[in-house]
Amino acid sequence: MTRRSSFCGSGAHSIDRRAFLGGAAAVGATVASDMTQLSVLAAPGANGALKKTQKRVILLWLAGGASQLETWDPKPGATTGGPFRSIQTDVPGLRISELMPKMATRMKTTCVIRGLNTKNGDHGSAAVTMMKGRRDEAALRYPDLGAVVAREMGRADSKVPDYVTFYTQTEGRSMAPGTSGFLGARYAPMELTTNNYPEFIKKLDGITDLDHLERGELRDLLGKQFGQGRSSETMSSQNEAYQRVRGIMASEKLFDVTQEPQKVRDRYGPTQFAEQVLIARRLVEAGVPFVRVGRAWWDSHGQNFETHQEMVPELDHVMATLIDDLSERGMMDDVMIVTLAEFGRTPSINASLGRDHFASAWSSTITGCGIKPGSVYGKSDPKGQTVVSEEVDAGSLFATIYSALGLDPDKNYHVGSRPIPLVNPGVHAIKAVLK
Amino acid sequence: MRLRLLLLLACCVLAPTTARTADRAPAPRALVAPASAPIEQVIDQFVDAAIVEANVIPAGQADDATVIRRLTLDLVGRIPTAGEVDAYVKSKGADKRAKLVDRLIASPGFVRHQAALFDIMLNPEGDRRGSGEFRTYLTDALKENRPWDQIFREVMLPNESDPKLKGAAAFLRGRVSDADKLTADVSVAFFGVNVSCAQCHNHPHVEDWTQDHFYGMKAFLARTFDNGGFLGERGYGVIKYKPTKGPERTAKMMFLTGASVEDANAKDPGAAEMKAEKDALDKAKAAKTPPPPPKFSGRAKLVEVALKGENAEYFARSLSNRLWHRFLGTGLVSPLDQMHSENRSSHPELLAWLARDTATSGYDINRLIRGIVLSKAYSRSSRYEGSESTPPFKTFAVGRLKPMTPQQLATALKIASTDPASFDGLKPAEFETKVEQAESAARGFAALIAQPTDNFQIGVGEALLFSNGDRLMKEFLTDGAGTTLGRAKLMKEPKEVVEFLVKTAYGRAATETEAKALVGFIEKRKGREAEAYRHVLWALVTAPEFRFSY
Repeated sequence: MTRRSSFCGSGAHSIDRRAFLGGAAAVGATVASDMTQLSVLAAPGANGALKKTQKRVILLWLAGGASQLETWDPKPGATTGGPFRSIQTDVPGLRISELMPKMATRMKTTCVIRGLNTKNGDHGSAAVTMMKGRRDEAALRYPDLGAVVAREMGRADSKVPDYVTFYTQTEGRSMAPGTSGFLGARYAPMELTTNNYPEFIKKLDGITDLDHLERGELRDLLGKQFGQGRSSETMSSQNEAYQRVRGIMASEKLFDVTQEPQKVRDRYGPTQFAEQVLIARRLVEAGVPFVRVGRAWWDSHGQNFETHQEMVPELDHVMATLIDDLSERGMMDDVMIVTLAEFGRTPSINASLGRDHFASAWSSTITGCGIKPGSVYGKSDPKGQTVVSEEVDAGSLFATIYSALGLDPDKNYHVGSRPIPLVNPGVHAIKAVLK
Repeated sequence: MRLRLLLLLACCVLAPTTARTADRAPAPRALVAPASAPIEQVIDQFVDAAIVEANVIPAGQADDATVIRRLTLDLVGRIPTAGEVDAYVKSKGADKRAKLVDRLIASPGFVRHQAALFDIMLNPEGDRRGSGEFRTYLTDALKENRPWDQIFREVMLPNESDPKLKGAAAFLRGRVSDADKLTADVSVAFFGVNVSCAQCHNHPHVEDWTQDHFYGMKAFLARTFDNGGFLGERGYGVIKYKPTKGPERTAKMMFLTGASVEDANAKDPGAAEMKAEKDALDKAKAAKTPPPPPKFSGRAKLVEVALKGENAEYFARSLSNRLWHRFLGTGLVSPLDQMHSENRSSHPELLAWLARDTATSGYDINRLIRGIVLSKAYSRSSRYEGSESTPPFKTFAVGRLKPMTPQQLATALKIASTDPASFDGLKPAEFETKVEQAESAARGFAALIAQPTDNFQIGVGEALLFSNGDRLMKEFLTDGAGTTLGRAKLMKEPKEVVEFLVKTAYGRAATETEAKALVGFIEKRKGREAEAYRHVLWALVTAPEFRFSY
């Protein structure tokens, strides 16, 4: 029996449970001897003491699937290469697409994963897999990267949201929702779709701030009275949720890009994506553990090259600006930038001069935190059809991200009594790209 | 596979359980529970004995106002009106609770609420929940208290040409594109067993579940497919799988107990026969009619074997456990989908008795519900006074808080914000109509609230919605004629208003502490009392005493 085998209720995991209980008891959680109480939901307090380093993540989600050939893994000259050239970067031997001149002078900050083989070319299910690092089980919904980071890095009494996701375009939005799975509503994302401003974050016009505050205090008093002699994790979560309301409301200004000096706004640029990434920087600076900025729609079945000619330079500029901005603020050790999508695009060019869905050899980047800057991992063949060395799947990509954030990928959550590690058993981080 | 001899055990007398395997037998309890005893009596006999054995002191019985709130929420999905609470508290007679239970079970609200709960139970992920036709089917079935085995049969073998029954097909139809999910969901929903852990390998620690079980169940179901909007089923086709060791295997149709079914068509039939079947299916597709069932139906075999003899204990135990969980908040086996020999029930003899009783009474849902809610175990206080630490919920020595479902909460908000006097003096039918109107008016708001699951967490999204959303204010906390706040405006003294609001929201008198705080809050807002009343009602309905069934 291995410690990490999956489990459906047998008594065989007493060691895990005891260890887990010990941790929980240390911070005074009211976990009873009943193993069914021992769920992931019952123990957020157990993490509090361990959250020494508040790492944060900005995920640039290239919805629809950006082409690796027009970004991180160009194949100029090959029949599959397309019209764009490659250019030398500041990392010896590393060339990327000429559409990314700004990133080309900043690759020393970043790690490129070129050998992704994720085996799924369907938008919906691939998006779920790439947000979660694995497929859901029939009866188990996993939390996505955002929810895990929110839980691991967020503070129980946090005054800011834990997980914010921007996805303004409608294409593909419903296929890649942020989901907290078995971690529950506490870690569900605050979703911004129609504008850059969260719903219900501002008090209604008809109520004064003092009334808003004091009726909340009445509620707390009623809650305290009711709570005497009663224990319930769900009741605690409700009280905690109301206690967070005023803090979250106070974070309203974080979403207001006009609070940022004009110079900084100009630097990021006038596009919606640029504004959202700037807001993301404001959020992580204020302690929000995870922000996803979704940029759609890269799904270039036709006119792939025009699409990428238009969209890649924006990504290049915004990502380079974000890296500069975070570096100047001394935040690169604590904030990670990830570029990821549900898949890449086919090397072969179709009759509409498009590229189709392709999951066999595509790319992603990770910048910051414990990632080795300037590293390249994985190699595709000269036409970009297959991975020839250092292949990476969704699971090991996630294990790498977790490790670079200082999280143990083998750490278990308990769903009911079943221990569920952050990544599936047997999946390992890519050591070569970790500091 | 170690089968519990539940049916034998439960028959007439529960003798010391010498037939059990040693690893999980507790100290035998020499309890006698005749099959003819009232359910509530048997429940209390077993639960009380276990409380003594666990050496814990149970909480006292909840008071009348709490009991009617709990019963009304659990049975008909809403809070009682202040008038209902008063009438119940004042009424005398040893059978007053039974009378209330019978009145609530006979009311239309019972059918609506239980149908919603069965819908959630069968569609826990919510994708198809509330899909009109399935809910309508469940509502019709529960209205006539259709036996659970019949519902199972109608859902698994839906008759799509009968307009009254075709709604049942939605359960399968939403899952036919993924046979693995269908297999997992059927096993969880009807048998309380999650075999999906055994999909990729034999279950590492639960001997009961091997890959043979997963693929054995799948073999019954995998021939079902979508035939132009209707359910089709092929009469042939085998499931093959690659075990972790050894060569590929062909799955036998095998139920969870290991009972296998001889598949007449284990080998594919001849080309002519296959073509004839395909033609018939295509013809039905073109004609937009339900296709003919195959001569040998795997699904029909599953229903047959699952309800046969001792095999039926999974079915009966799962229903008993789920209804117990619905009303007590904790299962006799927990989690609900982990009913196997290595996850012991907290009360094995009670579960066996209930399962046996349910099976012999013809899977009568209302009978079981009535028995559970009449027990003393059900009506224990959720407040544990005294110096000892609270006993674990699985002892049922103390009541457990249950978060309301979105519809319960929104309907409760509607009732609490409606002038209680407007319910007074109504004829029963008028009262029911008014309640149903409240329920309908609450539906839109309910859609904004999350459905609770086990270990439910309330997120900050809900707190923000209640704190800053305008719908609560516009649809519930208004102060026009016929509303609670409208009535409050006519009152003179803050004290009177506070008493009235607490009574309307909570069905009880205000305590001294809260009266002082709430009156103080109002007095600080001289000249704008109406606003103050609204804030007080807001505080009352957002506090846990309103959010939970307690």
